[in-house]
Amino acid sequence: MGVLQETVFEILHNSENVADMIGEKMAVNEAFHFTIGNMRIAVDDGIFVSWIVIVVLAVLAFCLTRNLKVTNISKRQAAVEFVVTKLEGIFYNTLGEHGKEYVPYLTTVLLFLGLSNIMAVFGFKPPTRDLNVTIALAVMSIVLVQAASIRRHNVFGWIKQFAQPTPVVTVFNILDIFTRPLSLCMRLFGNILGAFVIMGLLEHILPIFLPAVFCLYFDFFDGLLQAYIFTFLTGIYIHEAIEDPEPKEKKVKKKKKKAVAAETAAVEA
Amino acid sequence: MEFIAIGAGIAILTGAGAGLGIGIAAGRAAEAVSRQPDASGKITSILILGCALAESTAIYGLVIALLILFTL
Repeated sequence: MGVLQETVFEILHNSENVADMIGEKMAVNEAFHFTIGNMRIAVDDGIFVSWIVIVVLAVLAFCLTRNLKVTNISKRQAAVEFVVTKLEGIFYNTLGEHGKEYVPYLTTVLLFLGLSNIMAVFGFKPPTRDLNVTIALAVMSIVLVQAASIRRHNVFGWIKQFAQPTPVVTVFNILDIFTRPLSLCMRLFGNILGAFVIMGLLEHILPIFLPAVFCLYFDFFDGLLQAYIFTFLTGIYIHEAIEDPEPKEKKVKKKKKKAVAAETAAVEA
Repeated sequence: MEFIAIGAGIAILTGAGAGLGIGIAAGRAAEAVSRQPDASGKITSILILGCALAESTAIYGLVIALLILFTL
């Protein structure tokens, strides 16, 4: 009984520092700074860790793509090809026929986010915990979506697309340009920051065993899922932007559906 | 200071809506899989997407709560 009481007291005593600890987990600190002339350029830890992620990915990409052959391939090449085909397969279905050229971008962002989100496992603060990083990625996404739409439909088609399906929704379509990146970046930021803070709390309460179990969910599952969702949603937006506007065919399909429904109803009656 | 904590608590109530939404989605997904086990792969991907979208309201609540606690 005495030991239990002592532990409870210890946890309660520690809880006074919890607020400080959470504040420290949320804070974006300066990793280092350098000066060019009179300008003092600060590099935040989020950006510094994302540089590490970029270097790791670049080195992996460089090392794994040496000596590629068409026939008699090595085990390494087979593994790389398997992974790349699987990752690209995720987006080929979402993007459809006209969106194939956007698959490499989405795959790259998926890899970058996937590695960034699980950086907490290796003892770094994940860069996506920094709102600036996620805002940059979300702005890149929405610019790509609009550019894809302009490339496919020209400028006039792009403007006309805001009045699709009916002119009443034009305001909402224009609002979408701002709300989509906002929700994209806030979702990623909130999830990763929340997971990071909760992992900090768990480490605070019980530093052994407990974090190892929850790390599987909060760091690996949630981190990789958020990376997937970010790129998947970007893919859906791109697909929506480059779709062919074919109202005539849709009407025909609807009529057909109605006819089929009427037939089945008649049969059932 | 105490009132700020109450505000953060109210902001976190958004979790209730997200929980409801994800619960409904998961229940319907279970029904759909039991009706058509072949389509379970497609159903899972749609479920995950729907859950992520439903969950975002809770995440907004979390962000607002943390902002209230640490910037006010």
